[in-house]
Amino acid sequence: MEEIVQHLTPILKEIWGYIFPNEIELHWGVLIVLYPYLTGLVAGAFILASLVKVFNVKELQPTYRLAMLTAMAFLIVAPLPLLAHLGHPEKAYEILITPNSASAMAMFGFVYAWYLMAVLCLEIWFEYRRDIILWSQKETGIKKWIHKIISLFSKDISEKAIHFDKKWVKIITIIGIPSAFLLHGYVGFIFGSIKANPWWSSVLMPIVFLFSAIVSGIAMVLILYMIITPVRGKQLDILCLDKLASYLFYVMIIDFSLEALDFVHRVYESEESIKILAYLVSNKLFISLVVIQLFMGMLIPLAMIALIKISKSPPDLKKMVYFISAILVQVGIFSTRWNIVIGGQLFSKSFRGLTVYKITFFGLEGFFASVIVFCLPFILLYIFTKILPPWEEARNP
Amino acid sequence: MKNFLQKIPEQVKRLSILLLVVVIVFIVATSLLTPKDFGLVGHYRAGAIQNNADKKMEYAGQEACADCHDDLWKTKNSSYHKNLSCEVCHGPSVNHVNEPDQFKPEKPRDRTFCPVCHEFNPSRPTGFPQIVSASHNPRRICVTCHNPHNPTPSQTPKECSACHAEISSAKSVSSHMDIPCTKCHETLEKHKLRPREYLPTKPANREFCGQCHSQDAKGDEFIPRINMATHEPRYVCWQCHYPHLPEAQ
Repeated sequence: MEEIVQHLTPILKEIWGYIFPNEIELHWGVLIVLYPYLTGLVAGAFILASLVKVFNVKELQPTYRLAMLTAMAFLIVAPLPLLAHLGHPEKAYEILITPNSASAMAMFGFVYAWYLMAVLCLEIWFEYRRDIILWSQKETGIKKWIHKIISLFSKDISEKAIHFDKKWVKIITIIGIPSAFLLHGYVGFIFGSIKANPWWSSVLMPIVFLFSAIVSGIAMVLILYMIITPVRGKQLDILCLDKLASYLFYVMIIDFSLEALDFVHRVYESEESIKILAYLVSNKLFISLVVIQLFMGMLIPLAMIALIKISKSPPDLKKMVYFISAILVQVGIFSTRWNIVIGGQLFSKSFRGLTVYKITFFGLEGFFASVIVFCLPFILLYIFTKILPPWEEARNP
Repeated sequence: MKNFLQKIPEQVKRLSILLLVVVIVFIVATSLLTPKDFGLVGHYRAGAIQNNADKKMEYAGQEACADCHDDLWKTKNSSYHKNLSCEVCHGPSVNHVNEPDQFKPEKPRDRTFCPVCHEFNPSRPTGFPQIVSASHNPRRICVTCHNPHNPTPSQTPKECSACHAEISSAKSVSSHMDIPCTKCHETLEKHKLRPREYLPTKPANREFCGQCHSQDAKGDEFIPRINMATHEPRYVCWQCHYPHLPEAQ
């Protein structure tokens, strides 16, 4: 008892107004911020890849395979923050063997499995099949066997079979678009459907999540492409970069409009929670929402890309602006997730007070754990590019 | 049949085998790993109820306290702390119930304990006893003056401001600062002991304020005057003017 009092007393001093006792400590910390951020990158990278196959945007071809592998790397890591947060990862399989269709959270396993197996794995398999077979023919040792197993010991590289592959890549991409919407729309739904929390409860939430996901996915592929290509000693394709930046710009406009619509809607509705939410935004979330999310992560990149598109700039300046914009967008989108997840727990359901979030450094839910989780997809991506090189020159003629 | 099989592309055959393996593994895993008692009484393992029942008890519940300490229990239950269970302050005490001599429940003596509820906070309901612990008899432990089982202060509050601090401070900077509360609110002595049962009165008609604010009222010239016949005759004054700070718009 004494310990609890000792623990709570310093936190109580930072609380503003009146809050309920169970609202002092936040239940969802930085790991749950990371979860929608990572799934967003998956959905975004996939939508970018689908632009090439379904909408035939030829300029983006250099990033197609990279985008697919990026989506895969981030998707594999996406459930890790949840496992670390919930504890008992050894029990994770239970949501699959005892499905509870009445709970959106419990259905995550199926949404995830569908997206991983029916969309990403299948599309990558069809896309790479011919190359894997040809690679395995030339290779020896363990690499040969890895490629043989991945190709499921397939051998047929006749004209007809290749045509079949291409057709199916397109079909799976078409199925994949609603699936990507489902995956990230689902994450938005998890928050949007919590009717007791006025910061989250909004039907726009899945759509806002989705568009911010596409923004972050495009920006992430842009960053990766701009880092990896010079490291490999190759030239950046400026047409591809221009196109990526254009799509980033358009989707950001939509994302900004949706968020503005959500904001205007809330202000006009002025439900009983509006006062505490206004106080939340102007105090605890001012830096992360107004400064980082809105100005740094949205308005500045929009203005920078718009200026560079209007003026006839030299390619090097363009590259620099695109790169900085994409980095700012990443910070902004991470901040968006932070503001939703953390912001939604900072105000009391009594609408009369605010609590504080203190991030810890160590432990499963600490800062370091989240840094490790955030770095894992990049390590995975490195391994994937070794097994399934996405570069143009690795393709077999 | 053989012809049909040959027509199926190689990729589809291999993927179908993989899919079949995945489905079989899933079905086998589901049948092996699903607990036998799952779903018997709800969407959970029936044995989980027993598992929870088997957990070590920490709290005894206040009825267990009443068995031995019925005098304290009765006192508490007729005091302002009647809605608090004993273990809110004394901590989980099942061990004490089982072996009273060996385990003693906690008695919070720290000055940080009571202020968890009683530290001044403007959001707390008016009338809820609150203190600023930094200035309220610093360094003396709460139980020196207050009996936690019957926390009603032995002396009833002398001034209205003891409970209505916010109103009092607003009034103290207003032009009504010199008017005593009881000029407008008839207050029975019992209100100090049972504030919600014996509520003070409020001025019920316009003529009450008119005693000072009507055009023919006697008094200092600086007092604002109105024409009682034409100035919003359908309303009582305090429906528009806040009497504790009448300057407020």
